[in-house]
Amino acid sequence: MAAAQVSAAPVSTPLVEELLASLSRRKASGQVAAAGQAGWAAARWMADAGVTRAVLADDPLVQEIGLPDALRRAGIEVLTWPTGQAKREALGLEGPPDVCGVTVPALAVAERGTVVLEASAGHGRGIDVTSRHHVALLPADRIVQTLAQALARTFDGSRPVPSAVSLVSGPSRSSDIEKISTLGAHGALTEHVVVIT
Amino acid sequence: MSTWRRRDAGGVAYSDVEGTLRERTIVALSDRTLRGNLDTAATSWGEGRDAMRRDHGLDEMRERAREIRRQNIRDLPALLSEMQAKVREAGGTVVRAADGAEACRYITGLARARGVRVVAKSKSMATEEIKLNEALEDAGLEVVETDLGEWILQLAEEHPSHIIAPAVHLNRSQVADLFREEAGTDDVPDDREGLVAHARVRLREKFAQAGMGVSGVNLGVASTGTVCIVENEGNARLVTSQPRIHVAVMGMERVVADWDQAAHILQVLPMAAIGQDAANYVNLITGPRREDEADGPEEFHLVIVDGGRGALRGTEFEEALSCIRCGACLYSCPMWRSVGGQAYGSPYSGPIGAVITPLLEGPASPASRDLPFMSSLCGACGEACPVGIPLQDLLVRARARASSPATRTSGLAFRAWSRLWRHPSTYRTWMAGWRLMLRARGKAGWASHLPGPGAGWTQVRDMPTRWPPRR
Ligand code: SF4
Repeated sequence: MAAAQVSAAPVSTPLVEELLASLSRRKASGQVAAAGQAGWAAARWMADAGVTRAVLADDPLVQEIGLPDALRRAGIEVLTWPTGQAKREALGLEGPPDVCGVTVPALAVAERGTVVLEASAGHGRGIDVTSRHHVALLPADRIVQTLAQALARTFDGSRPVPSAVSLVSGPSRSSDIEKISTLGAHGALTEHVVVIT
Repeated sequence: MSTWRRRDAGGVAYSDVEGTLRERTIVALSDRTLRGNLDTAATSWGEGRDAMRRDHGLDEMRERAREIRRQNIRDLPALLSEMQAKVREAGGTVVRAADGAEACRYITGLARARGVRVVAKSKSMATEEIKLNEALEDAGLEVVETDLGEWILQLAEEHPSHIIAPAVHLNRSQVADLFREEAGTDDVPDDREGLVAHARVRLREKFAQAGMGVSGVNLGVASTGTVCIVENEGNARLVTSQPRIHVAVMGMERVVADWDQAAHILQVLPMAAIGQDAANYVNLITGPRREDEADGPEEFHLVIVDGGRGALRGTEFEEALSCIRCGACLYSCPMWRSVGGQAYGSPYSGPIGAVITPLLEGPASPASRDLPFMSSLCGACGEACPVGIPLQDLLVRARARASSPATRTSGLAFRAWSRLWRHPSTYRTWMAGWRLMLRARGKAGWASHLPGPGAGWTQVRDMPTRWPPRR
């Protein structure tokens, strides 16, 4: 991942740095990439994680950074939301196990490592949570400092309220067995955020 | 499965618990495994919470949290009307239920009308309080708790031990045994990761079958009609997105005015509850899926339960309604840490449970009238509460309100005692008699069996017959 950072020569800011630090505290990972490199960087992270199928949010950013091409070149099958899969396959009970959901957060909160996912026609609620892996493609200018700022923007009254907003702060985990945090409960086992500058 | 967690309709406390509060306490105290598990849980919570106080100013956030919640309770009727209007605007249905039975009737009827067979649930104290699982099972539905801790308890046919961490009283090998029994195979791993992965697959099968998802609500935000569901596992996201129908059950007091208030409470909650600055998933749901969306429920129903809460407004117990169910007062309570939640015999245990269970049940309930006495009044709960509820004061008031044969007898005894000791002459006579009796009973300066008020003392230790005592 360090190689991607160097070759992309990304511009980092204190807000980006804080987000990356918070993500690692939340047991997620993150990297910074210039727009021209981001698709390649995301595909490489997925290939390293053993991903064989990606479910992509239908967002213009995904095409802009050339992600579908990069994935195909890495030998990863590409599905775009809505996938039209039957329920059992959508829930990972059938089909390949190493699926990665790719989301485009509306915002992110630097101080607590949170990405804000909004449900919409192109952005299903299940993309990240039903998959084993989760990659979020985050334009750097969408990072805010606090949760209060993120919620104020999301629910500012200037547009209809989204049907579902998910604040995701790291991989799924449970502490229900002996109070020790164990990753990969119901949702994604890994989370990687590509910050695009 | 149809007989687990049996309770009579109406009350909040469990009706299937055995023995009196005192007997259950004694049983719990002698369970060494339980005490070890509770110790581990409370210690790890304490470390996290201390870090939040140090690094995130949790204590400084309390005053504002308290202000917000007190104001919410004062404005409750208006906030609830606004909430109701906004949810309807977003295409959802709102039902106001006067009590648990009414809420259960509505949800069961809905499930029947829609041909639902399997109901997937995420953790919710409100549904535990109204005994929704029993109602659904009585109607012939399969109910599956999908929160890992709750599922473990469902398999063990036990009641939760803690608001946030329901299965803290069970250890890893106890869990592995339950999973083996459920899966009908010995092929279940023993390590934590393996157990969690096993549960994930078993429960995904249930999500594939579920026609209805039932969740609780941590906060309702009136200004947009949004329900907030806070969780770590991701099961609440599945419950609220996979089944065709989502039913959210909310205690009527859980509403805040706007997103500014919600942001503050949503930050405080995980800090106090799990000692972390964020929960993993916070689901903010406003109505059902929109027409152009490919997943999410087609129907959204918000069931708002009164269940005795409304009647607490304007009383000396009003502040109990500020509670955000974080569980901090449980972990901080030396009583709860010694006996766990199950001895309380109510879904709400610990200091807040000892206050609200009898309030929601009514003063005459034999199942809960002794609960306010499950406290040493040390005040650790009030200090831990992130919304500043003076729990120790509420406990004292709840004791004053409790009326049982036991409390009446001890009241009489204490009045007689106080009359005896208030006058120097009766006091001196009493003390002279007591000294005589001590000398008659004592051996070598110590008495090991005393009658009357001394009996409790000499059950576990000797009493010196002279002062200073002989070594
Ligand atoms: S009374 Fe306070 S500490 Fe106890 S659960 Fe409620 S909010 Fe948390």
